[in-house]
Parts: sequence; structure tokens; C-alpha cells
Amino acid sequence: MVTKENLKDYASKLMFDMDDEGYSRTLKEFETVERHMELIGKIDNIKNIEPMTFPYVIYHAHLRDDIAKDCLTNEEVLANAKDTKANQVKVPKVVAE
Amino acid sequence: MYKVTIGLEVHCEVKTNSKNFSSAKNSYSEYPNENIDTVDIGLPGILPVANKEAFKKALMMALALNCKTPDIVMFDRKNYYYPDLPKGYQITQETKPVGVDGYIMVNVNGEDKKININNIHLEEDTASLDHFNDYSLIDYNRAGVPLLETVTEPCIHSIEEALAFLEALKGIFLYTGVSDARIDRGEMRVDVNISLSKDDTLGTRTEMKNINSFNSVKLAMETEIKRQTELLDKGEVIEQETRRFDEENMKTIRLRSKADAIDYKYYIEPNIPPIIISDDLIDEIKKEIPMLQFERIEKYMNEYMLSRHDSEILVKDKKVSDYFDETVKLGLTPKESSNFIMSVILGYLNKFDMTIDKFFFTPNMLYDLITMVNKGEISSKQSKEVFLKCCEENKEPKKIVKELGVTQITDDKTIRDIVIKRLDERPDLIEDHRKGKNTFNYFVGEVMKETKGKANPSLTASIIKEEMEKR
Amino acid sequence: MKTIMDLREDLDTGKVTSNELFSISNKKAHEYQDEFNSFVTIVDKKEEQESNTLLSGIPYALKDNFSTTGILTTASSNILKDYVPVYDATVYKKLKDAGAILVGKTVLDELAMGGTGTTGHTGIVRNPWDKNRQIGGSSSGSASAVALGIVPFAIGSDTGDSVRKPACFGGIVGFKPTYGRISRYGLFAFASSLDHVGCLTRCVKDAAIVTDILKGKDERDMTSLPDEDIKYSDVIDNDIKGKKLFYIKEITDLNLYKDAGEETLEILNKFKEVIEKCKKLGFIVEEISFDEQLLKAIYPTYITISSAEATSNNSNLTGIPFGPRGNGNNINEIMFDARTKGFSELIKRRFILGSYVLQKENQERLFKNAQRLRHLIVDKMNELFKTYDAMILPASGGIAPKFDSEIDRMSDRYLMLENHMVIGNFGGFPSITIPSGFVSNMPIGINITGRVFEDGLTLNIANKIEEALGYKGLIKEEYDV
Repeated sequence: MVTKENLKDYASKLMFDMDDEGYSRTLKEFETVERHMELIGKIDNIKNIEPMTFPYVIYHAHLRDDIAKDCLTNEEVLANAKDTKANQVKVPKVVAE
Repeated sequence: MYKVTIGLEVHCEVKTNSKNFSSAKNSYSEYPNENIDTVDIGLPGILPVANKEAFKKALMMALALNCKTPDIVMFDRKNYYYPDLPKGYQITQETKPVGVDGYIMVNVNGEDKKININNIHLEEDTASLDHFNDYSLIDYNRAGVPLLETVTEPCIHSIEEALAFLEALKGIFLYTGVSDARIDRGEMRVDVNISLSKDDTLGTRTEMKNINSFNSVKLAMETEIKRQTELLDKGEVIEQETRRFDEENMKTIRLRSKADAIDYKYYIEPNIPPIIISDDLIDEIKKEIPMLQFERIEKYMNEYMLSRHDSEILVKDKKVSDYFDETVKLGLTPKESSNFIMSVILGYLNKFDMTIDKFFFTPNMLYDLITMVNKGEISSKQSKEVFLKCCEENKEPKKIVKELGVTQITDDKTIRDIVIKRLDERPDLIEDHRKGKNTFNYFVGEVMKETKGKANPSLTASIIKEEMEKR
Repeated sequence: MKTIMDLREDLDTGKVTSNELFSISNKKAHEYQDEFNSFVTIVDKKEEQESNTLLSGIPYALKDNFSTTGILTTASSNILKDYVPVYDATVYKKLKDAGAILVGKTVLDELAMGGTGTTGHTGIVRNPWDKNRQIGGSSSGSASAVALGIVPFAIGSDTGDSVRKPACFGGIVGFKPTYGRISRYGLFAFASSLDHVGCLTRCVKDAAIVTDILKGKDERDMTSLPDEDIKYSDVIDNDIKGKKLFYIKEITDLNLYKDAGEETLEILNKFKEVIEKCKKLGFIVEEISFDEQLLKAIYPTYITISSAEATSNNSNLTGIPFGPRGNGNNINEIMFDARTKGFSELIKRRFILGSYVLQKENQERLFKNAQRLRHLIVDKMNELFKTYDAMILPASGGIAPKFDSEIDRMSDRYLMLENHMVIGNFGGFPSITIPSGFVSNMPIGINITGRVFEDGLTLNIANKIEEALGYKGLIKEEYDV
């Protein structure tokens, strides 16, 4: 059973937090979804169905020719970055993995 | 002693004009953030568009590693947060990689060994981070560069085997032209998994990520094996964890344990439709794969009777090996060709930092040069001088030989006339010779003096001998 | 109220200039902004471009989740509140090339996730037919801008029913063509396998005209369909005699709604009247039975798949290469702060759910089962489409809700009637909502969903029904100037 603490952990892995009521509401939503999904799990033969990612079989997947094209200028790359230095995006020191 | 088991994951950048999922240039650049498309920086609204060439090269590598290729290839997302990953996910292959269940043969201390490949998959590289005192800078040039990850089975049982595998894999990348595998530019990076055990059951493994030179891989393996051995000797248990190799202090440091392992929440990338692999495509790619190092070594040793040592030197660089093959095809014996290449050409290339394909002296010229030696037109000592002169002046060997006038005197009468003249001058020395004194070399020297060294030495010797005996 | 074709004629005969049209739209946009909040950004300077297409000189509005170079694009979220794109969405580029004139960027439910028009970072969007009611969403501002007569057409995006539901509540036409018919490049992704570009117009013909301009293969979108050589606006008047329609008993049977409110019953009754009119037109209409278990699973399936894809698609919003920077001492704190402040609670809840269903230990049971369910529904639809040319159903089980009412789309009553339009996204089917009358002085609509790739036929069927129903170019009197 999922707890509020679990939810808080999931949220932190998604890089955010919210207030306690938020987690309570999430918990309620989880219960509804779980209840519905449990019903889906009981459908005959469901395990034998191929999970569907694409709305229909796409027969026309063309790969791109390997041609390099002009793209963004350095100014455009950095246009929306809040902190830059030496034509790069500046962030607090990242501890190397 | 413990049994060591090693599994390797090798990342290698693929050589293409453009990135894996965008049309930005795929090239090493001095200037940060210059080769970037909207896709590479993860701007809202972007969609990946897969690169045909990267895809073909991935398939080629899969085939070169004797992998099974699927009928349909798909891409997946690997989700995690890190500042070098602007989209917040990496496009990779989990469900249907380009190759599974392959192997390559490597030679470890003269013994052939099969290394099994679990899978090879095509993905994209991350941005590069530059670290300073209290900040880091992000350069997205590398983000989206096509990357091939080769994953071995845990079937490697010594450091030597691991290194032999890495060298062999690098060789395949170079031979197929899939990558330049420039380790100095970080184009090839290695993750090492190591476990120790007393028997045939696998021990608990630790992982070390992103090691970027083969020598560091060697040191890291040595260090980690030592650490695990010490722990096991003390009766302690090994924890499954990710560790970092600190080369400066020669130790490995714990990064995170298995419990903290990231769940990457893989799922199929919905923006790249499944790609159908036809038999025609596979056949077409197979035709483009050249004979690889391991097979060439076998051929040189078994068919050409060259030593392993010589064969390994010849195949180190595909271009050298191709050059050698060409000369053999033209008619040189493998031995004479390999001798000249190894004793003269490789040294010359090395000295001038040249590659054999960008070098004036073609296989045809080597054929002409050695044929002149074989016909006795020049001496083998002269052949080296002619070679150097050819390279210096960008002229063909025949032309150089003519110009220098280094052609040997092989005409019997010319030499005999000189010999007779000299013998007539010094009957005393002939007398000495009869008494057992060695005056033979004096006459050889005289002939050489007069012909400026051009007289064929063996012919000269036999004529002197004949004429002396006549008297 | 004038349609694109009316305005085309006015422009071509010199009755009005494109500058005048733009001024009128711009003026209306400002005039109604405080009351209805259709726009995040109103463009005050007319883009100067000319072309000889039907859309040349015609003003339009674009949902604020399409990338527009140099024009603020927020997706109605604080996390993008100051984001100014450096590239054009294919849709925007095509409209520019066609000479259409951008009037403004419209408010949506934050990141297009929601159906109420109440969650955008610049405030709620109101329904022109009743200011106390929602317009629906997520293409809320696009729907209200068309319903208010500010523009003759607007562009939206549709992942569940985000074009078609607000169109229904606003008394206008909402169309999303086959998945891949219009490039998604530059549309801020919500759930990529379900996302469609769509348009909101005053009549079916306008929807055909706009789609004719937008459709086509895009080298930037691998899922975009190859070009076709037909124009939908050329086929919408084709004869439909003998075309077969079906509706689903388990959704429309009055006996199922014994305890439902008056409005729902009236909507269902009016739907039956529409069916009769269709038969008179020459359609063959049949009631079919659809596995209720599958129908009830539509919404949970949708929530599961869309939340999973959304959490991944929005992982790029960290405030590092773009967006507001978070505060903190290290890189993780900075991303954490930016995302904590940048998303509203509703979004965060969806993300948590989405990541939960993708977790290794849950993926099979939740995400993949949802994908399997999707497959079952699409297979069933394709089976039906072997016999029938389109499905026809009420677009909603109620009129536009009031702001204080809370619709629980997961509640049993609404589970099927309120959520069936998601089927169009599951299978990528072309799907259109057109107005079909009024209940309690609020517009209602019907939805027609056709076979995949058969956008022309779907529009053709809708156009014929629209003619018969006579609710073309609806607008509330006070805004009809």
C-alpha cells in the first residue's frame, strides 16, 4: 500500500515537493486509479494483449539522411538561460559522479 | 585466490555528420554551444528524428559482433535528472536493441577466447560539464551525439582478458569505420562490473562507471580486485554498489548502494515509430564489413606463415593491413612485403607522423622496388635508400633508380674485364692466395672501387674465384 | 458571425483590408480580456506577410503551447512564465507562410493537462455564453476567442478531448484530424502518443480549410503522415447517402440515466433527435453494443498513459537551460526549487501518478495494462469501422459546468458519457465536435469520430449533419458585432 511518505519520496525523485494536503489529495487519486486499474487487470486475457504505444501501425518511419545543417546560434542557445559564462550555461558546482 | 568475474559496458561515439536525433553537426569543437539544434537542448516542443547513418552503423557493429538483429528496432526513454541531460531523459534502446546475443574472439597470451556480448544498443551522448572552483559550465555540443553501448556478459575472468577485449572492440570500431574511438577525446568510455568468488557461483558485483582510458581501466580493476580480496579475506561481505575510481589516490570510493539505485522508468519512445529491418538492408551492411583483425591474424599466421607477433603488428592499423594485403595481391611474398613494411615503412610513417593511406609510396611502388631487388638490379641495402629518395622527391622507384644510376652492374663481361685487369696487376697476391693467405677481398674491393659499388657483389665474387682458379 | 470564407470574400472584394481585420480582432481581444481572459499574450503589431491562400489576411489565435519565435510562450505555467522561444512550431510557420495573422497566444490549462480552463497561471477562462461557467479545456482561450468572435479560427491541441470539449461548451466546431496528419513539432508535449494538433472554428468547412493548410509530412516529426493530394475542403460536400454511422448503447441509453439530472436527459433526448435527422439525410444509423468493461476503463487508461508520458515529457523543465532559475546551494536544490515553485499542485499530482505507474515494480500492472486496454479499445473500434464509416455520440453529458461545481470524471455516472472522446486519441481517429442545439440556454454538441486516415470523409459527414442541424456560426448575441 502506498503511503504519504512514499508519495513524498516519489515527488522528491521528480525534483519537487508540495504541501501535506497535496499529498493527501494525491493519495485519494491513487486509490481511485488503483481501483480502476485493478478492474482492468482482471479483464480476460489482458496479459496476452500487446501493449500499444502508437495509435496505429506506422508504416512510414523514414530515417533522416545524415546531413548536418545550420542550427541555433550560441546566442539562441543561451537566450533563455538565466546564468551564463563563457558562452556556456553556468550552474553551481556539480559534484562529479 | 578468488575467481574474478568481469563484465564490461563500453560506450563509443559513432562517426556521423549529424547528431543521432537532430541535424546539428556531430563534430568535436573547440567552441562551446556551437553545434546545437533545438532538440539537443531539450527545448519545449522538440521531437527526435533518427539518423539513418547512425542507425546503419549501429547495425553494422551489431553484425560485426556476431549479434542477432531484430526485425523491428525501437527506441526507449531512460528517465533521470542530471544537469548534463537537458531533456530529462536519454533516448536509448531497452526493448528492441540493434543487436543481442553476440560474441567476439580475442587472443589472450596466445590463447583464443570467446567473449559473449549481451547486447549492443544505440543511444545519445550527454552534454559535457566543466568544473571550476565553485561553479560548473555546461556545453551542449556533445548532447545528442550518437553513442553505441556494448554490454558483455559477465564472462571475463582476468584483467588481461578484459584489456584484450577492449583492444579488440576498439579494433572493430576502427576496422568498420563506425567510430574513430579516440580515447583521448572521450569518444570511448568504459563501465566495469567486478565480482569475486571462491567457486563457480557469481559473487556480489560492484560497478565503476565512466573510466576513460584503457590504462585507467587496468588500474581500476587492479584496485577493486585488491579491495574485494582484502574484504573477503577478512570474512566480510561485498555490497552491491556503484563505486568511483579515484586514480590519484589509487582507490575506489562508494557512490551509492543498490538500494539507492535509480529506477530509470524505461518506456518506449513514442516519437520514433518502430523501424523495420529488411533482409536486404542486413545483406547490404554485411557486404560493407571488412575482414576484421582477429580473422586477418589467423589468415596471416595460417596462410602466410607469418609469426603472431608480425601479424599483430600488421593488423594494428587497418590501413597498414590493407596496404600489406594489396602488395601480396600484386605478387610479393608475404614475408618480403611484411619485412619491408615493418622494418622500413612503419618507422618512416612514425617518424613523420603520417598515415599509410596519405603517403606517396603506394603498394605498387613497393612491388616494383622489391622486384628490382629480387632481380638483383639493386641491392637490398640500396632499396632502403631508393625508398627514402622516392618519398623525399615524390618519384617512383624506377625513376629514382635510373636517376641515381644505382642500377647494379650485372653484366658478366664488364666485371670480368676489370677482374682480369686487376689480377694481371698483382700476380703477387695471387701467389699469396695460393699459399693460403686471404687476398680475395682485396680484389672484391678493387672491383667495387672501380664500379663505384655498383657491381653485383655475388657475381663479382664468383668471377674473381673463377679467374683466380684459372691461373 | 462571419466564417473564414465570408471574411475571404470581404477581403477579396475590398470590403475590408487585412489591416482592418487585424485591428478589429486586436480591439476585441483587449476589450474582452478582463472579462474572459482568453489570452496570455495579445499581439499588437501585425505580422506582415502575404500569400494567396484562403487564410491570407485572416486573423487567428494560437494556443500558448506552440513555439513562436520571439513571442512569449508559457504553456500557462509558472515554470515557463518568461520563456521566449527561439524557433517556430511547424503549425505556426505554416500559418505564417499561408498569410494568416496571429492575434494572440491563448490561455490553456497548465501544460495542457486539464479540462476546465481554471488552472492557467494567468487565471481562469470564462464561457462567453455564461460568465459563471467554464469553457472547458485545455484549449480554453482558443475556444473562448472563437466563441467571442475575436477570431474566426484558433489552433488548439487535443490529448484527451482538449479541442473538442471546449468547442462543445462554446458552441463552436472543434476538429482534430488523424494522428500524424498535422506535425507536432513545436507543440509542447503533454503525452506524445496521444497529442494532436486541432482547430476551433465556426463551421466544418472552416475546419477543413484550416486543416488543408496545416496537414502534411514534416521532416521534424517522424510520426507525421505523408502528403496526400486531396483537399478536405473539396470533399466535404460529397454525397453521403448510404454512409453508415453507429452510436453506443451503453453510453446513450436513457435507461442508464434514471437518476441523472434534467440537463443530461435533455442532451440525450436531443441526441436522439439528431440521429433521426441523420437518417433523414440518408445516413444509415445503427445502435451497437460496446463492452461496458472497456468503456469504463477509458478514463483510468487515459490518466495512466497520459500522466506517465507527461512526467517524462516535462522533465526538461528544470530551470537550467531555460525557465526561471530556482534558488539553492547545489544543482539539485536549484532544480528542486524551480520545479516546486513552477508547477501547480494538480500538475505535480499527475507527475507523481505518472512516475508511479512507470516504476519497475508497477509498470506491468499499471502502465502496460493501460496500454493493453488501449489496444483492446482501438481494435474494437477498427472492427466497427469495417462496417461503419463513423461513430456519432453526444460530445458531453452536460452543459458547461459552473466554476463552483466539481466534476469528478472518475465518478461512475460520467465515466463513459463524459470521457468517450478519448477514444479518438487512443486510435488517432479523426474526430470532430459540432454544435447541436441548446440546453438551459447553453450550447451542446455532438461528436463524430471516423476511420483513421479518413479525415475527408469525417469532415464530409460532419458538414452534412451541420447543414441539417443549422447551428453554424453560433455566437451569443451581445458579442455578435
